[in-house]
Amino acid sequence: MNLERKDWIRALTAHPATELNTLADQLTADCDVKFKSLPQAGLGLLTLTDGAFHEPYFLGEFPLSSCSIELSLSDGRRAAGGAQVMADDAELARSLAILDAILAAEFPGWERVSEHVQSGALQRSEDDHRRRAVLAATRVDFALLGNAGEDDDAD
Amino acid sequence: MSYVAIKGGGRAIAAAAAVTEYLRTEEGLVGTAAEPLEINAILHQLRHLVDRVISEGGVYHPQFAALAIKQSLGDTLEAAFALRAWRSTRPRLSATPPLDTSRMRLIRRISSAFKEIPGGQMLGPTPDYALRLLRLELLDESPEAFRAVARDWLENCPEARLPDSFPKVLDALRAEGLLPPVSAARSQTAFDITREPLVFPVPRSAALATMARAETGSLLAIAYSNMRGYGDVHPTVAELRVGYLPVLLPHPVTGELTEAGEVLMTECEVVAMYEADKANDSGGKPMFTVGYGACFGHNEVKAISMAILDRALQKGMKDGAANPSEDPEFVLLHVDGVDSMGFASHYKMPHYVTFQSDLDRLRTTQSKNREIA
Repeated sequence: MNLERKDWIRALTAHPATELNTLADQLTADCDVKFKSLPQAGLGLLTLTDGAFHEPYFLGEFPLSSCSIELSLSDGRRAAGGAQVMADDAELARSLAILDAILAAEFPGWERVSEHVQSGALQRSEDDHRRRAVLAATRVDFALLGNAGEDDDAD
Repeated sequence: MSYVAIKGGGRAIAAAAAVTEYLRTEEGLVGTAAEPLEINAILHQLRHLVDRVISEGGVYHPQFAALAIKQSLGDTLEAAFALRAWRSTRPRLSATPPLDTSRMRLIRRISSAFKEIPGGQMLGPTPDYALRLLRLELLDESPEAFRAVARDWLENCPEARLPDSFPKVLDALRAEGLLPPVSAARSQTAFDITREPLVFPVPRSAALATMARAETGSLLAIAYSNMRGYGDVHPTVAELRVGYLPVLLPHPVTGELTEAGEVLMTECEVVAMYEADKANDSGGKPMFTVGYGACFGHNEVKAISMAILDRALQKGMKDGAANPSEDPEFVLLHVDGVDSMGFASHYKMPHYVTFQSDLDRLRTTQSKNREIA
C-alpha cells in the first residue's frame, strides 16, 4: 500500500461507520486498549485564509470527533494511534484511532485494515473522478463575437 | 421596555406544537402512499436549501440541517436557529490551522474578468444560462425516470483529465502588480464571533465571520443597495469557485496535517475600482481594490454579496461610511438571520405592560388636549 498515513482517515471513512466499528472491535479482541485521550464528539472551528489579503478568519464550525489510544499486545509490543474525524460520532473516532495504530505498527490484522484503506481510497478516487467529470463536461471557451471559430450549437 | 411574567397557556402551547405536527403529517389522511420526507431526499433534492441552513446556522452538518428543515417545515430561519441551538450544546474540540482554499476540489469555476484564466473556466452545476421556465414534466416524475437521469449522465460523462486544484486569478493579478501586495503587517489572529461580542471597530476577520453566517436575503439586500447606487464598489468577479475543501487537522500521533473530512463551500473574489493608497505597501501606486466572500455550501448570491460588502466596509473603515453598506455597525448588526428573526418574533410575545403604558399615556395626552381646547 502506498497511501500515506495522513490519507488513511479519508480512505477509511468512505466505508460505513458500523463496518469500521466492527473491524476495530474484532482486531482488538486480544489487545489492551488504553486511551491517551478519551473519545469525544464536539465541534471544530474552520479557519481559512481569505483570498484577498491572506488574513485568517473563521468560516464556521463543523462536527468533530477525536480520540488517541495506545494498543499493547501480550508480547509487550505497543502502538500509538489517533484520529480526528469530521463526524458527530465518538465511537467512530475510537475505531479509527485503533485502525490507525494497527496499520502503522503492522499489528495482527493490519492486512484487513490495509484492504479497507485501499478500497476506501478507490471509492474516494471515483468520487473525485465524478467531480472532475462535472468540470470537464462544462468547460467553456468564451469567445468574443466575431472571433468565434465555430458555432458550438452545431455540436 | 418592560415585561411581565405570565402564567397559564401550557395546554394551548402543547396543543399548538401538536397542531404543527398534524400539519406536517396531514398528507397521510388523504394519500395512502404518503411517506415521511426522508433526510436523504432533503439532502440531495433540496441541496441548496440545506446549503443555506448550514451556512446561516454556522455549522457544517448537512444531515442535521436537513433534519432541521424537516422539523421546521422548510422555514430556513427556524432551521438555522435549531442548528445553532444544537451547536451551542457541543464542546469546542479544536480549530484548524488557516487553510488555503486553492486546494478546493472544484465543481465550478468562473471569471467575469477574463475569458481565459489559468486552468480554464468550468460552468459546473448552474442555472445561470437556463431559461427560468417551469419544468412541468417534474409534476409527475416516475421513480424510474428519476433514477435514470444520473445513471445516464455518468455513462456519458467525458473522460476528465484535469488537475486536482487550480490557481487563483487574484494571485495572477497580484503577480502583475495590479493588486496591493499581501502585507505581513495584517492581522494574523482571527476573531471568534461565537465567543466575543462585536464591539466596534471590529477587525476585518470579525466582519468576514459575521457575513459568512449571515442570512442570505439580508446580505443581498444591503449589497444590492450598494450595487444600485447607495455605494460605488462597481465589482468585477475575478473568480467564483464552488467545491469541496479538505479540512486538515494535525494527526494526534504524528502531528502531520491529516484530512478529517471536507466541506462544500462557495468563494468569490472581486476586484473593484482602483485607487492609489499610500497606506498600503504599494507606495501610492494605483491598484485595484479587492473584496472577498465565502460561505458553507453552494450559495453564489451570498458569496458575491459578501465580497461586495467586504470591499464596501473596507472603504467605510478607511474613509468613513458614506452609505449604509459602508457602515460596519449597520451591516454587521443587521445581517444575522437568527438575531433579526428573534427580534421580529419577540413582538408576538405578551407586551401587556408596555402597551398598557402606551394606552395610559395616549389617554392622558388626549385628555390634556381636550382641556387645552
